[in-house]
Amino acid sequence: MNTPGILGIYPFGLGRENWRISRFVYYGLLALQHRGQEASSIITLGDDLHVESRRGLVEDAFNEKALLSIPGFIGVGFLSSASNDSPIVISSPIRLVLVGDGMPLLGKDRQSAWRAFAELLSDEISRTGNSLKAAVKLVEEVNGGYSFIALTEDQEMLAGRDKYGIKPLEIGSLGFDLGAIASETSALDVLGMDHVLSVGRGEVVRFDPYSIERMRVRELPNPAYCSFEYVYLARPDSILNGIPVYSVRIRMGEILAKETPATADTVIGIPETAIPFAIGYSRASGINVDLGFVTTGRRVRTAIKPSVFERLMGVQLKLNPIKSAVNGKDIILIDDSVVRGTTLRNTVWNLKRRGARRIHVRIGSPPLKFSCPFGVEIPPPDELIARSLSEEEIAEVVGADTFSFLSVNGLSQALGLPPSNLCLRCWLGGVKS
Amino acid sequence: MKIMGVGGGAREHALAEAIARSAHSPEIYWVSELRNPGIYKIVKATGGEYALADTKDAGRIADLAVKWHVDMVVVGPEEPNFHGIPDEVERRGIPCIGAKRSLSIIEMSKAEMRRLQWKYNIPGKLLFKTYQSYSEALRDLERYSETLTWLQNVALKPARQAGGKGVKVVEDSQIYLHAEKQEFKERHMRWLEEYMEKYSDIEEKILVEEKVWGPEYTLQCFVDGRTVVGMPLVQDNKHAHEFDIGPETGGMGSYTGRDFLLPFITEEEYKRSIEIVEAMVKAIQDVTGEHYHGFIAGQMMLTEIEGPTLIEMYSRLGDPEGVNVLALLKTDIVDIFEAIIDERLAKMKIEFSDEATVVKSLAPKGYPDFRSLAKGHPVYVNETLIKEKGCKLYWGSAHLGLDGSITTGGSRLIEILAIDESPAKASQRIEECISLNPVKLLDGWGLFYRSDIGSAEMISRRVELAERVRRLYKYREERGTLGKRIDWLPKIGRVDPVASLLKELSFRR
Ligand SMILES: Nc1ncnc2c1ncn2[C@@H]1O[C@H](COP(=O)(O)OP(=O)(O)O)[C@@H](O)[C@H]1O
Ligand SMILES: [Mg+2]
Repeated sequence: MNTPGILGIYPFGLGRENWRISRFVYYGLLALQHRGQEASSIITLGDDLHVESRRGLVEDAFNEKALLSIPGFIGVGFLSSASNDSPIVISSPIRLVLVGDGMPLLGKDRQSAWRAFAELLSDEISRTGNSLKAAVKLVEEVNGGYSFIALTEDQEMLAGRDKYGIKPLEIGSLGFDLGAIASETSALDVLGMDHVLSVGRGEVVRFDPYSIERMRVRELPNPAYCSFEYVYLARPDSILNGIPVYSVRIRMGEILAKETPATADTVIGIPETAIPFAIGYSRASGINVDLGFVTTGRRVRTAIKPSVFERLMGVQLKLNPIKSAVNGKDIILIDDSVVRGTTLRNTVWNLKRRGARRIHVRIGSPPLKFSCPFGVEIPPPDELIARSLSEEEIAEVVGADTFSFLSVNGLSQALGLPPSNLCLRCWLGGVKS
Repeated sequence: MKIMGVGGGAREHALAEAIARSAHSPEIYWVSELRNPGIYKIVKATGGEYALADTKDAGRIADLAVKWHVDMVVVGPEEPNFHGIPDEVERRGIPCIGAKRSLSIIEMSKAEMRRLQWKYNIPGKLLFKTYQSYSEALRDLERYSETLTWLQNVALKPARQAGGKGVKVVEDSQIYLHAEKQEFKERHMRWLEEYMEKYSDIEEKILVEEKVWGPEYTLQCFVDGRTVVGMPLVQDNKHAHEFDIGPETGGMGSYTGRDFLLPFITEEEYKRSIEIVEAMVKAIQDVTGEHYHGFIAGQMMLTEIEGPTLIEMYSRLGDPEGVNVLALLKTDIVDIFEAIIDERLAKMKIEFSDEATVVKSLAPKGYPDFRSLAKGHPVYVNETLIKEKGCKLYWGSAHLGLDGSITTGGSRLIEILAIDESPAKASQRIEECISLNPVKLLDGWGLFYRSDIGSAEMISRRVELAERVRRLYKYREERGTLGKRIDWLPKIGRVDPVASLLKELSFRR
């Protein structure tokens, strides 16, 4: 699933050019690593523009020596789970570099859509001479679910979000010196920054050496925040659109317990995303929660690994059951979402081998049935198990006693927003709710 | 009656306006470095005179007061206080509203202020150290792991009040970014040492203070040597840009709430704050033997360590905070000045109207750190439009030429004030006014300001922050640990930084 992480850091004031920003970008990206693990880019602007795009995890792509060799005091970072994904560099009429999360509806794939967007931006800035107005005009006219950060040759950093606010973007501040924009607040926290606010939907914020200005599109539709961010994509320590991801996941677990109760000895969440769901389920049901698995190797997000083989390898390394926690017990096993069901099947089987008796699988989100029009690479519909099978049938396939999803209403209740203020396309499909 | 004012910013414009409102219908005289267009208009309307002079030149200012036969002098900014303008004016037999040189040390030397506070054991203290040079300071700050914890998260300041400039706050608590932060601290201390070269009135150059966090507010007061009278609280916003990002400025905008309080400060906290200011006035009068006549203010922060905490003191009104409170002042300010001179404030009832105010500053791009870029631009203002929108304009750093043209002085150009039932409403009113572009630079150079000052968004953030701080200091209060700090160093053991500081201070005496 491709949901890039983007980050921009901008110094102000006397001596601003003295900052070596590359290490800030690096650590900020580490805190966004869950959003993309195949390509990492660090872009800096100082005397010149430096674009360093490399394969793999941030930690593998950049070592200390590489970081120290990247000059520049304004920094932008980008992470993607597509290894061919990279920042868009436009050389004329206005030289700029752009990184984006989600996708403007301007092309078939992310890369070509973002290229078209960046070209339009460059043309519009050159035509109007005002980058803020140019970017707002684009946000006004270009549909899609996206957020972006662009850096121009004039040391202007533009950060904007689509009109519906589908993709997140958050603002931070450090001392009297640095301002930052990031996909998630986890990056701001790790950099020791204060989280200030979200970039508004349909809003563009511009940093230049002497000011920060913001401007919004004239007519704002209802928001449609991406619900999948709260279910799976975002880190639980992040706060998006003023809503803490952790609390949402706890509530999802609580609602799940009410919607689909089960009798069991213990509740277990599949690491790492589903652990808050399990805590919530346990609180609402009164059934104890247990740590069911220990992970081996570094943190890999199985759902965003490219091939089935890699995914399974990921699961096996990631999820070693703790025998004493499951042996002889009836278990409520909780996961955040189900794509193909392969990993879940594997996990259920593993638990049974360690002596688990009944296994009731509960999913903290509704059935995933549709692809995302904004570039979240959910597999094609015919590879989505929830699309073709009922809950009872899935239970059979994965080897569980019972199996149920959270309802769409439950999801909206957990978020504290009506369905009309959420993007629910991956659960409900096509039409904007 | 004739009154002379000193200083040429927006705060002084508001002072001139308040004086002009007086039932005494005084003739107003003024002296400042640039010719403030707003003050100039008021002065002319009352039949007074306006002179340009170095406001740090006590002899010259006193000469003007004598020449114009004024009945009293009112000082706006701090530097004239530091340079003894009140002393010299009074020596010539003219009463002055302004802290004398020895009293104004409470603002001029951040180090002296802090020492006084510790010496008299006045609540709301912070740990600090001073240094005469960059290299001396470095010795303490570079030993990261062997040094006291508070020395890692610090505010680095010029030891002297330096025009609201030069403070950096560095939280060095992420070990992985330590190299960058350390380099930044070193560079800034070197810069501070150089910057302080131009001040010969103080030995200490660098002040390192423990970093605290929490919402800030200003408590401005009238003082007559016996009584301190508090005004409504104001919150100023120091960061240059929207979202509290960017360099420190003299203040980009401020707001007041209702009932003398801010939405995030309780009555009890107000009371404690005024007790702190009173105690500081008493202490400085005790040390100098002088009577304090004029304005004083505590620039405060609500902190987890002690609740209301003193960041610094002003020997004057704040700017922009002064504009907020003067706009609300119902009592005749000349009556107040006379009461201060006669030391009978205690018997006076001073009233403010119970409304919210917001002030937003407009500054030319380049302010605060690249002032040469911000200076010398021709200004156009549509004052009628501002009035029509229910706002008021105060001229700041601007110069009115003899030909009637106005140019920017390089600092905050204009402050726009609105009064309404809540800060959010007043803020919105200013937004509507500014969206019509009533102020422009005729050469096309940009102006900037903060749209977020006083907004509902900003206030709810401040409230949330205050609640977090309050929970912590109230818990300390319950346990009797307000103001207590305990540290531990390998090989040395338990350290009480307060005890060490007190020991150092007594050693110094
Ligand atoms: N000890 C501190 N901890 C945290 N922030 C501080 C501290 N001291 C100052 N600051 C911040 O820096 C600003 C300026 O500091 P201040 O001492 O008031 O100097 P100035 O004379 O420049 O106004 C304050 O308004 C506050 O935001
Ligand atoms: Mg200050």
